[in-house]
Order: sequence, then C-alpha cells, then structure tokens
Amino acid sequence: MYGLPIDGMTPTGLDPSMFLLSGYLLGLLGGLNLLAIGLGVVTLPVFFVVLFSVEQVARVASNVTGWFPAKLVLYMFRGLRRSPLRTSLTYIALFVLTLVLSMIYSVLVFIGRVTTEKEADFKAIATHKTIIPSQMPRAHYEEFKRQLAKLPDGMRPKNGDADIMAWSFFLGTTDPISKRPDNNVFAFCIEPKKILTMMDGLDELTGKEKTDLDAAVAEMERDPQAIVMSRMRLKKMNLQIGQTIKVTGLNYADLVFDLRIIGELPDGKYDNISFINSAYLFRQLDAWKLNNPKNRTSAPHPMDDKCINLLWVRLPNKAAFEQLAAAVNDTGNFSNPQIKIETASSGFGTFLEAFKDILWGMKYLMAPAMVAIMCLVIANAISIGVRERRTEMAVLKVLGFQPRHVLFLVVGEAVLVGLMAGFMSTLIAFKMIGNLKLQIAFFGAFFVPAEVLLYGPLLGAFVSVAGSVLPAMNAKNVKVAEVFAKVA
Amino acid sequence: MPPPLVQVRDLHKSFTRGTERIDVLRDLTLDVGRAEFLALMGPSGSGKTTLLNLIAGLDQPTEGSITVGENVISGMSESELARWRTRHVGFIFQFYYLLPVLTAYENVELPLLLLPLTKEQRKKQVTTALDLVGLSQRMDHRPGQLSGGQQQRVGIARAMVTDPELIVADEPTGDLDTKSADEILKLMEILRAQLGKTIIMVTHDPKAADRAQRTLHLEKGRLERDTAWQASVGSV
Repeated sequence: MYGLPIDGMTPTGLDPSMFLLSGYLLGLLGGLNLLAIGLGVVTLPVFFVVLFSVEQVARVASNVTGWFPAKLVLYMFRGLRRSPLRTSLTYIALFVLTLVLSMIYSVLVFIGRVTTEKEADFKAIATHKTIIPSQMPRAHYEEFKRQLAKLPDGMRPKNGDADIMAWSFFLGTTDPISKRPDNNVFAFCIEPKKILTMMDGLDELTGKEKTDLDAAVAEMERDPQAIVMSRMRLKKMNLQIGQTIKVTGLNYADLVFDLRIIGELPDGKYDNISFINSAYLFRQLDAWKLNNPKNRTSAPHPMDDKCINLLWVRLPNKAAFEQLAAAVNDTGNFSNPQIKIETASSGFGTFLEAFKDILWGMKYLMAPAMVAIMCLVIANAISIGVRERRTEMAVLKVLGFQPRHVLFLVVGEAVLVGLMAGFMSTLIAFKMIGNLKLQIAFFGAFFVPAEVLLYGPLLGAFVSVAGSVLPAMNAKNVKVAEVFAKVA
Repeated sequence: MPPPLVQVRDLHKSFTRGTERIDVLRDLTLDVGRAEFLALMGPSGSGKTTLLNLIAGLDQPTEGSITVGENVISGMSESELARWRTRHVGFIFQFYYLLPVLTAYENVELPLLLLPLTKEQRKKQVTTALDLVGLSQRMDHRPGQLSGGQQQRVGIARAMVTDPELIVADEPTGDLDTKSADEILKLMEILRAQLGKTIIMVTHDPKAADRAQRTLHLEKGRLERDTAWQASVGSV
C-alpha cells in the first residue's frame, strides 16, 4: 500500500511499493486481456442469438418495406452466417479490443476525475515536506487544527472538527512467528466519527450497510480496542465479528494490539483495509514509553513522533486553501518536520506522477497499437472472406449491382459485427465491472463511465470500417470478365 | 425486316500479359436477330466467352462497336453498363452462381431490387418466373437444397425475371446430366419461341448447339463457319 511506512527501501531510495503497483498494473492488463477473451468466448452464443434476432427484425423490415437498402442489410446478416468460425473470431477480436480499450478509457477518466481540482468543498492533504512516506508527530495535528481555527470566517471548515482528519497507517500480524500476507492486518488509525464524515466511498452505502457502519462507529467511540475490518479480509483470515485478535505491530515494533472485531465493511469498500480508533494507537505508544519492560530509559517509542502519516481537511474555497498553505509553509508553525499542503487532487496527481509514463504509454502507445493490430486482424479476416466470395461479388455486378453496392455489403458485414461486439463488451464492462465498485487505494470506487456504451460500439464500428475498407475496395473493383475467365 | 438486336462491327479484343499482347478476337462482325437462338462453338481459347462477355456488357472491346437494341454499349462506362445489364440482359452460367445464403425466391428477386418496382410487382414477377421454370414449390429452398438441374432452372428464372430482350448463356448444360441438360435446353427454346427472347449460348456440346437456330464457329478469334437455321427448332 502506498504511503505505508516500511523500512525496506530499495538501494536507489525508491519506494518498493511503486514497483509493486507497476507490477499490479501490468498484471492487471494481462489479466484483463485474458478475462476479455474468456468473456468473448462465453458471450459467443449470446452474440449469435442477438445476431439471429436482429436478422429477423431486418427480414421483417425488408419484407414490409421492400426497400433496397433493407434488403442489402438482410444480405449482410446472411453473409455473417456463411462462415460462423470467421464471424466468431472477428467478434472475439473486436470484443477484446473494445473491452480492453473501454477499461483503459475508464481508468483514464477515473484518474482525470480524482486529479481534477474542485472549486469548493474540496479536500486538502498535508504531508511531510520531503519524506515519502510522510511521517509527522502528533503535535502537528493539534497545530494544524489551531491554524485552521485562525482562518477568517468563510474560510474555516464548514463542519468544524468533522471536516478535519488524521491518518496513521498500521501494519501488524496475528502471527509474529510466521508472518504471511494472509495473517497481516492493515488499518487506518483514525478518529472513528471521521469514518462517516471524511472517508470517500462510504457515502454510497445504503440501508443495512449504513446502519451497521453507524453502529460500528459508535462502538469504536465507546471501546477504543474495537476494529472494523473489510468483509474480504475477515474471510481471508477466517475471522468473524465478535472475535478478539492479538495483532503485533510490524511498522510499530513491539506494540501489541488486543482488538475486538465489532463490524465489517461491505465488499468493494476499502477491501482488505481495517479501521482502528487512533486513540488506541496513541495509548499504546504512551504505554510503551511508561511500561514496556524493554524500555529502561523511558524514551518514547521510535515511531512516537512519526505516527501521523496524513492530515486531511475539507475546505470551503480556494482562498481558504491559499491562506492555510501560507500558515503551513510558515516554519514558525511547523518546523520539525516542515510540512506541505496540497489539494487532494494535486496530491493524487503527485502520487500518480510516478506512473505517468505507464499512463502515457497506455494512452498514446498501447491503445493506438491495439487499434492498429485489430484493424489488421479484421482486414485479414475480411480479405479471406472477399477472396472466397470473389465470384459471388462478380455475379452481383453481372446482375447490375453497382460497385458501391458491393463495397457497402463488405464493409456493412464488418460494421455489424463491430457494432455488436462493441456494444456487448461495453455493456459487460459497464454492468459487471462498473458495478463491482472496486476501491482503488484511497481514491474512491472505480467506475466505468456511461459514455463507454456509446464509444464502445463506435470504436468497434470504426475498427471494422478501417479494417474492411481495403478488402472492400478489392471487392468493389472485381473485374467480372476476369473472374469468369478464371473460373472457366 | 426488323433490324437485328445485336450488331457487332469490326470487333477486336486483345489482352496484355506481361509484355506480350494476345489478340483474342479479330475483326469480328456479327448480327443476331430478334428472337434468335444462337450457339457459339469453338475450341478452348477461341474467344467464345470473350465474345459473349463483350455482347453482354461485361467487358469493353479494344476496337470496334457493339450495339444492342438502340444502345451502343461499347462506349458505356462501368456504371452505365451495370444499369443497362439490369434491364436488358439476363445471364445463365455453367455453375449457376446462385447466392448460397439466399432462397430460390430471393435469388430470383435480386436483379429486380435494382429496378423501381413495388414489392407486389416484384413478387408477381418472381412468382411468374419460378412458375415458368416449374419451381414455384421450391421458392423457399436454398441452393444447397436443390439439385443441379433445379439450380440451373432458378438461374434461368433469375435471367428472365427482369424481362430482358437478350439472354446470354455460358455453357448452361456443361455441369448437368443429359436429362437435366435436355430440360434446360427446352426451357431456353420456350424462352425464345414463346417470350421472344434472343439467346446467345456458348457451348462445347454439339447436341446442345443443335437445339439452336444458328451456330457460329470461332477459331483463333475469327468466325469460321455460320451454320444455317435449324428448321426443326421452329416447331417448339
């Protein structure tokens, strides 16, 4: 997890979590391709059923109207049934392309949204000025609140303390002898009531989920040793609500937390993350200083003045941000260590800076390369079809069909597949992947924008036209006399 | 005496293969009368199919002129020829060339789609054409569900459905057994005798040529012999 204070920096001083996340991204992309191929194959029967159904509509339309273009469209549908294998492969290729590009588009839109500055009621984030991951003393949180209180009317947080939050990252294990990913607990140590007022993605909870979370927060306020864990984490650790666990700190060495599981976060909301009352963390740090038998000098815990990782505040306007930034930059207020403040969106932007090359590559290299490759795949498939049907094209021309009719037939068949593959893939992306509302770090729930339902079919159609235009030109220019001379 | 339907004058057709020029037809002059059944014979490479393609407007002559009815087709563009073919020429192929994804009805209807006809008019013409070839009961069958002879009859229905004055046939019996071939030739005789169609047929089969009123023999791109009218055909 980004920002997690760990000791294992690489020799170059880079945070190894960056490499981990890059690996995740590439793995995700590969997995997405495999998933798209799988979904394409699984949806093939649906595609043919839809194809057949639409063909029946086209048939009725052509019979009722007797209109020539309607007849041509009907012949396109019939043409697609001529080689089910080729049609299937073309569909799968276009399905994969449109699904993967829809997801890339969604990621870029998602990133765009989280890095877009809001004009009012936006979050700002204060961090250590130079160190990543950020580490600050507890006193900074109090000073931060004092500076906010000094802001003029109209610039202070609208909801007072409810709009201010501090995060302390805690990583521990339930089995200090055999530390494994499946017995790790990662938690945000936070003032419980701020879970309801400041955490993104939880405002979408409805009904019982919201009631349960309200109750859990109240219980955390009452009992600092309470912990709320994500449902996914509970399942992975084979734990249940009501159980108590002993968690030994990994980033807080020698601290042992006795925690009582009192609630769960629903799937898709902060998966694998837990919430602990920050008061318990601070109490444990204080207790370590006073009571730990290993500590003979009464010195504070090594993490005592580093236990605040991020400070958050929701500000009413830009002027408030600028005034607060001036106070934060004043070394008289925050000197040891100095801190900086950014809007959340620019903070996310700074975080994403490390991935800008990957994102640039996705946008300007991978996406166009995929489109180009798919154009070639489509061109190849359509070319084979045109070669097989050269005589048929010639017969149409003999009967009086104009070259443009032949062109229309060839391109039209490809476009029909492209439109349907694009629509089906983006519908799946929108309905299935979009509805998962996957939580990406602390950026909020991932979403698939509704416009992909339009862009997907258009992309499928575009690639189909681009891929089929050359074979269609060949079909259009078929010399009738030459075709029949060769046949004869 | 009415003027001939097809008038070919000083026709020359050559192809270039690499640097070599191949003269397929040379100085060919020919008239084909209205409601005449003409057979074109000759060895392979003699230019029969090339001549047929030129008369049907599928190719352009290198030199000379071709007039069909009142249209000088040797000067037409590809688009003009396509439009002209729809109305004026019907084609019968050796291998039928029906579209496999369409039913017999839809195959016969194809050329009519290009004409300004209502759905009802099209239906009437298609039904009439299929009736004439005896396949009205098979109109919903695909080519794959029909025998070779039946497919060729659908091909004939398609050729005559637009009521063209000229029908060209390139070895129409070449892929059929004797019985089916005989049925097809009878149909062609009916088209000529009862509907007044002019038919030009390329064939290698002397028996098929015997059913025509006149047979032309081509040899190395030139007309060698012109066989007289077959009196027996007139009685069909």
